[in-house]
Amino acid sequence: MSEENKTLSRRSLLKGVGAASLLPILSACGATAVSKGTAGHVVVVGGGFGGATAAKYIKRGNPAIAVTLIEPKKTFYTCPFSNLVLAGERSLDSIGHNYQELKEVYGVEVVHAYAEDVDPVAHTVRLSTGSTLKYDRLVLSPGIDIRWDALEGYDQAAAELAPHAWQAGEQTRLLRRQLEAMDDGDTFILSAPANPFRCPPGPYERASLIAHYFSQHKPRSKVLILDSKDNFSKQGLFTSAWQEVYGDRIEWVGLSGDGKVVRVDAQKREVETEFGTRHKAGVLNVVPPQKAGKIAERAGVTNSSGWVPVNPRTFEAELAADIYVVGDATVAAPMPKSGFAANAQGKVAAAAIVASLEGTSTVDPHWANTCYSLINPDYGISVAGVYRLENNEIVSPQGSGGLSASDADGWVRRAEAEYAVGWYNAISQDTWGTRL
Amino acid sequence: MFSKKTKKILNSVPNHLKTGFYALVLGGFLISSAQAEGFSQRQVEVMAGSCANCHGTEGRLAGVVPAIAKRPAGVLEAQLLAFKRDEEPRATVMDRIAKGYTEEELRALAHYFANLDNK
Repeated sequence: MSEENKTLSRRSLLKGVGAASLLPILSACGATAVSKGTAGHVVVVGGGFGGATAAKYIKRGNPAIAVTLIEPKKTFYTCPFSNLVLAGERSLDSIGHNYQELKEVYGVEVVHAYAEDVDPVAHTVRLSTGSTLKYDRLVLSPGIDIRWDALEGYDQAAAELAPHAWQAGEQTRLLRRQLEAMDDGDTFILSAPANPFRCPPGPYERASLIAHYFSQHKPRSKVLILDSKDNFSKQGLFTSAWQEVYGDRIEWVGLSGDGKVVRVDAQKREVETEFGTRHKAGVLNVVPPQKAGKIAERAGVTNSSGWVPVNPRTFEAELAADIYVVGDATVAAPMPKSGFAANAQGKVAAAAIVASLEGTSTVDPHWANTCYSLINPDYGISVAGVYRLENNEIVSPQGSGGLSASDADGWVRRAEAEYAVGWYNAISQDTWGTRL
Repeated sequence: MFSKKTKKILNSVPNHLKTGFYALVLGGFLISSAQAEGFSQRQVEVMAGSCANCHGTEGRLAGVVPAIAKRPAGVLEAQLLAFKRDEEPRATVMDRIAKGYTEEELRALAHYFANLDNK
């Protein structure tokens, strides 16, 4: 996209008018105006489920709109299915996705750099390469950042010893190596955070699949989940599946049972809970408290919760015009912080952006979500949700969505494990155009 | 596929213009079926966006989860309604999903996927 040309055309536009008419022209060049003769330029920050989807669907909606995607990584590793990598059931490569199809089929310009700052007034994004991009509309899909100051003893250095593996890639590799090297008979401890956090059923699927790995390779080892809350996603389904499949291999301790970890000693792989109980791990996995990705803070769109409030109709940030935010970074309850929801929000934002650049009205938003969790590679459970807007609130129509039946037959569990793989292939194809 | 009246009009179109004429007639047919239930094309596209997460972009990905693009509208609608009404014993998740849409929305979605052209 020719930002220089754009600046030039604005300058010459301003030059050509008298001072008396300057103000109206300036306001026309403000929040909603698009440079004359173009369909507009959208910059998308973040190439995960939300951002890559938004970029693709803006292009599908109107190929004349210029779309630039900013993503530091050339290969994006998904958190979904990374628990299978931890269990040794999949390679890390198999959950890596690239940006070839977005570039070659959809004409998205992909820049591998960090977005370091946003000026919402000037409508610019500054990149780690030193260049500055001008946008008509900005999409932020920054995912999560760790709150490094929220849990005593758990900083970036500690995460190299006691990985979070809540952003997939190197952290996933590290945790997998530790699990492989762990002595049979040692305990894997997972510290789970309070709500809200990325992927609500994620810690419990991870515990399940690591128990699956232990049952085959470290038969004397156990899994201990120390939880900062008393209830968790799909709790009934997980708990009864653990009983059925793993017996007493998985132990869960909730908030009121003194499960809240308040201090981490990563060197010793030890944690201390609220009431002073110390637990020593063979491998320690801390899923720490989280907040919206840093660039959302820089853009000034987060509130005191650390997350981004949005207009649910369009996913435009409440705190800045022309900045749309999708995915885990947003406050979008009752939608969960999931890759599926991020993809669905990316499409709603894309439609709203295309409509606003074309000057047409926005259609009613619709979203859905299905989170599959694997107890083992042949045993799947799910929670589904369908969402729409009523009185400007995101609601789930009565009777829709919900959990897999608690009394389902074995074929349902097997089918849901297969559908989990089908879902992963489909959403990867829909988001990045890559498939397995 | 065309009514007598349409055929009569078609016969009056010079041959070298016929391709474009067919395209116009077909295009009109596609738009009118997507809009049959009073939903704009873009509205249905946004509704259909969620289906892609398991069925691939435009519902075209075949695998464990079946492709839904270009299957007959009547078949798709009947299947969606069976899910919604708990009349599909092999349902795992689509019964929970279909209940989130009105019958009119499901019909519009069935028509949308049925009428996707080859790309």
